[in-house]
Amino acid sequence: MIRYSIRRLLLLLITLWLLTVLMFVLHHLFPGDTLTNMSGIRQSDGVAYQQAQQHYAMPQSWLSQYWQFFLHLLHGDWGQSLVTQRGVFADIMPQLGATLELTIMAMTLSLVIGVPMGMYAAVQQRGPLDRVIMGVSLSAYSIPAFWLAQLALLLFAVKLGWAPISGQLNPLFNITPVTGSVIIDILLSDSPYRGAALKDALQHLWLPVLVLSSIPLTMLIRITRNATLDVLQQNYLRAARSRGLSESRIMVKHVMPNAMQVIVRQLGLQFSLLMSNIIIIETIFNWPGIGSSLIKSIYERDYPVMLGGLFTLAALILLVNVAVELYHAWRYPQVRKELYAER
Amino acid sequence: MLAHRCSRNGRTAWQLVFGSFLGLGLAACQPATTTVAPLQQGLVYCSEGNPEGFNPQLGTSGTTIDATSAQLYDRLLDYDAEQQQFVPALAERWQALDDGQRYRFHLRRNVQFHSTPWFTPSRALNADDVLFSFQRWLQPNHPYHAVNGGNYPFFTSSGLMNLIVAVERIDDYTVDFQLSRRDSSFLANLATDFAVILSADYGQQLLHAKQPQQLDRQPIGTGPFQFVEFRKDLLIRYQRHADYWREAPFFEQLVYVITTSANKRMLKLLTGECDVIPYPLVDELQQLDIDDDIQVSSAVNPNIAYWGFNTARPPFDQPLVRQALSHAVNRQAIIQAIYNGNARQASGILPETSWAFTELDQTHAYNPQLAKQLLQQAGYEQGFNMRIWAMPVQRAYNPNAQRMAELIQADLAQIGVRAEIVSYEWNEFRRRLDRGEHDSVLIGWVADNADPDNFFRPILSCAAAAGGNNRTNWCDPNFDQLLEQALAETVADNRAQLYQAIETYALQQAPLMPIANSLRFQAHRTDISGVELPPYGAISFRHARRILPVDERGEQP
Repeated sequence: MIRYSIRRLLLLLITLWLLTVLMFVLHHLFPGDTLTNMSGIRQSDGVAYQQAQQHYAMPQSWLSQYWQFFLHLLHGDWGQSLVTQRGVFADIMPQLGATLELTIMAMTLSLVIGVPMGMYAAVQQRGPLDRVIMGVSLSAYSIPAFWLAQLALLLFAVKLGWAPISGQLNPLFNITPVTGSVIIDILLSDSPYRGAALKDALQHLWLPVLVLSSIPLTMLIRITRNATLDVLQQNYLRAARSRGLSESRIMVKHVMPNAMQVIVRQLGLQFSLLMSNIIIIETIFNWPGIGSSLIKSIYERDYPVMLGGLFTLAALILLVNVAVELYHAWRYPQVRKELYAER
Repeated sequence: MLAHRCSRNGRTAWQLVFGSFLGLGLAACQPATTTVAPLQQGLVYCSEGNPEGFNPQLGTSGTTIDATSAQLYDRLLDYDAEQQQFVPALAERWQALDDGQRYRFHLRRNVQFHSTPWFTPSRALNADDVLFSFQRWLQPNHPYHAVNGGNYPFFTSSGLMNLIVAVERIDDYTVDFQLSRRDSSFLANLATDFAVILSADYGQQLLHAKQPQQLDRQPIGTGPFQFVEFRKDLLIRYQRHADYWREAPFFEQLVYVITTSANKRMLKLLTGECDVIPYPLVDELQQLDIDDDIQVSSAVNPNIAYWGFNTARPPFDQPLVRQALSHAVNRQAIIQAIYNGNARQASGILPETSWAFTELDQTHAYNPQLAKQLLQQAGYEQGFNMRIWAMPVQRAYNPNAQRMAELIQADLAQIGVRAEIVSYEWNEFRRRLDRGEHDSVLIGWVADNADPDNFFRPILSCAAAAGGNNRTNWCDPNFDQLLEQALAETVADNRAQLYQAIETYALQQAPLMPIANSLRFQAHRTDISGVELPPYGAISFRHARRILPVDERGEQP
C-alpha cells in the first residue's frame, strides 16, 4: 500500500508540474505581452512593470523565467486581474469554496439517491420498476445540462416561484464571503438574521444542486445496477443462498460491499464529468464559482484569471481522482493485490 | 426568498396545485421573511453591467454613471429638469462676475463626507475639496492627474478643459472659476454627472499611503449612499450615508446586482429578485404592463438616433446627394418597426426636451420622387453603390441598428441606390469609424447636459471631426461660427432663435439624417416608488422608498 501510495502521489506531483509547464508555455503563446499575461501588470503601469520584470526574471533565459514563474505560483502570487487589478489567488479562493459547495452537495445527492435506486433496479431486474428507473435515467442522461437548467428555471423559478433565478443568497442579507461556501459563511457570520439567511440560501441552492446532480445521478444508477447484477451472479452468493442466509442479509452483507467497489472506482470519473458541467450550471445560475469566473475571463481576455481558474480546476480534478484511487486501493485489498500482481 | 416572493405576488393556481401536491407551497407561503428587516430596508437594482470604476470623472459609459454619480457624489449645482433651472447643491449660491468670465460659488457648510472603515473624514467639505476635484483633471502636473488612466473624456469633449483657466480659493467656503471666455453652457456642464466633488483629505491620505489608485476604487464622496463593497460580475453594495446633508435616503442598503442578460433581468423582476431594472426588452413591455406587480416607466431621454454620411468621401461630399438620401427614407415606418412606436420621429437634431426646441419640422420629408430628381441634378441618374454601417449593440436611442439598416436598404433601392450593410464588433466598429472607413453609419448621441450646444458641438463641429464623435467628418467653418455665436449669447430667447438657425443650416447641408428621439425605459415592482430617472444624467435612488404593505397576515389562509 505504501509503495502504491507513493507511486500515485509522485504521479500527481509530476502531472501538476507538467500543468505548470503548460501554463508557462500558454503565457508565451497568448497574444500580447508575456509578462502582462503572467502578472496582470501592464507596460503603462511604469515602475510596477519594471519591478515585475525583475521578479519574473524577464530578460533572462526561459529556464530562469520558468523557475521564477513556478516560485510565484507556489507562493500563491498568481498575478492580478487585467480587469479589476485585484489579486487572482485571493479572488479564486472564495470562488473555489462556492464551486466545492455545489459539487459536494450534488455528488452527495447523487450517491444517496443513485446507489439505492440502482440496487433496487437490479433486484427488480426486468420488472416494471426496473424499466421505469432505467428509462427515466437514460432519458435524463440524454438531456444536456444547459437545456435542463433553463427548463428547470422556467418551471421552478418563473412559473412556480419555488426558487429564485440566480445567485447564492439575497444580497440584502449582508453576509461577508469568507470561505465562499454560502452556508458556512452564514454560520460564521454574526448577522442577527442568520436563520432567515440560511433559509434563503437553501432556497437558492436546491435547484442548481438538483440540475447538477442529474448527470452523475443517472450514471450512478446505471453503474450500480450493472455492478449489482454482476455480484448477484457470483458463486459466493449462490453459496450464501444455499447456506440459507436471508435475502436481506445477503444484500447488506455481501452484495452491497462488493458492488460498492465498482462504484467507488467510477467516482473519480464522475467527478471530472461534474466539473465540466459545473461551468455551464454556474454560468446559468450566476453562481459565483470558478466556472462562471472562467467563462467571463475568457470573454474578457483576462489571461491571469483564466489560467488561475484553469489551474485550480485541473488541480482539483487531479486531486480528487488520486484521492479516490488511494481510497479504493486502501479499502479493497483485492484491488491492491491485483496491482502488485500477487494473489 | 420563496416566502418573500409568495406574499408579494400572491399565489397562482399553479403554485397551489403543485404546492399542496408536494406539501411544500403552503408551508413556504407564510409571510415570515417579508418581515425580515434587511429585506424591507434594502433595494435591489439589477444593473446591466460592471462599472469601469467609481469615479464618473474618468468615464462616459452610462453604466458607470448610473452606478456612481447620483449615489456616491454631489455636484456644486443640480439641474431641475422639470423647472428647467439650476438648483443649489454643494454650492448654496453663485454669481457671475467680470461679464460672465468669472463665476463665484459660495459653498454649503457642514457637508460631511462618508465615514468608512478605510477613511474617517477630519473635516467637513470646504474649498480645498472643490479645488482638488477640478484641478485633478485641469492640471497635467496634479499628483492625481495620471492616476487610473488620466483620461477625462467628458471634460475634453465638452471643452471645459480649455474653458476653465483657473480655479481659485477665495476663502474656506468661496471658490472662483476663471473662464477664458463667456460661455453660457458653463453652469450646465457643472451640473452634469461628471463634475462631482471628491475629498481632498482622502486624496492626501492615499498619497501618503502610496495608494492613489484607490481614490477611484474605494470612493469617498458626499452623496446619499456610501460604498461598501464591489464584487465584479456579482454586486455593488452601498449603505445609507447617515450624515447626508439633505434628507437621508429611505433605504439602509442599496445593492446593484449585475445582470447582463436582458432576459434574465426581466425574469428576476417577475420573481421579485430585482426591485428595479433598467432597459427592459421593448418587445415584452406590453406583457409587463399588464402584470399588477410591475410598473414600467419611461423617461424622455435626450438622445438622437441618426444616419450620418461620411462627407469626406464622394459622392457624400455633395449636399444634393445627402439631401436625396434623406428624402428617400421612410422614417415613419422605422419608428413603427424598430421602436414599436416607443419613440418620436425626430423633427430636427434637438429633441423635444430641449428648451431651444420648436415645433417646426427641420428634417427632409419622405419623398422618393424628389429624391430621384435630386440625384439626377447631382449627376447620379443611375444611382450608385454604398455601404451602411450598423451598430452591433443595443443602445437607448437605437434598439436594433441592423434591422433599421435593412429598412433603409429597401428604401434606397427604390431610388436606385444599392446599399450593403456592414457591421463589426463594437470596439472595432468605433475604431474604424474613427479612421473614417465608412460611407454612412447608423449611430446616435445622448446628451450629457441640458444645453442645446451639447447636441451640435460633439457631433458636428470641426473639433469633433478632428478627434471626437463627429462621424460625418463634416467640417464647416460657417457652422462652427454659428455655434460660437449661440454660445456667446446669454439671453435664452435669442439663443433659442440662433439654434433654430443652426438647425436650418444643418438641414440644408444635411450631413446627417435625424431619425428618432427615443424613450428610456425602466421597470420596477409596484411597492417601490421614487426611483428617479432624470432626462439628463443618471438614475437616482435618493428618494426611493418601499411602500410597506398593510398587514398581510389577515389575508393568509
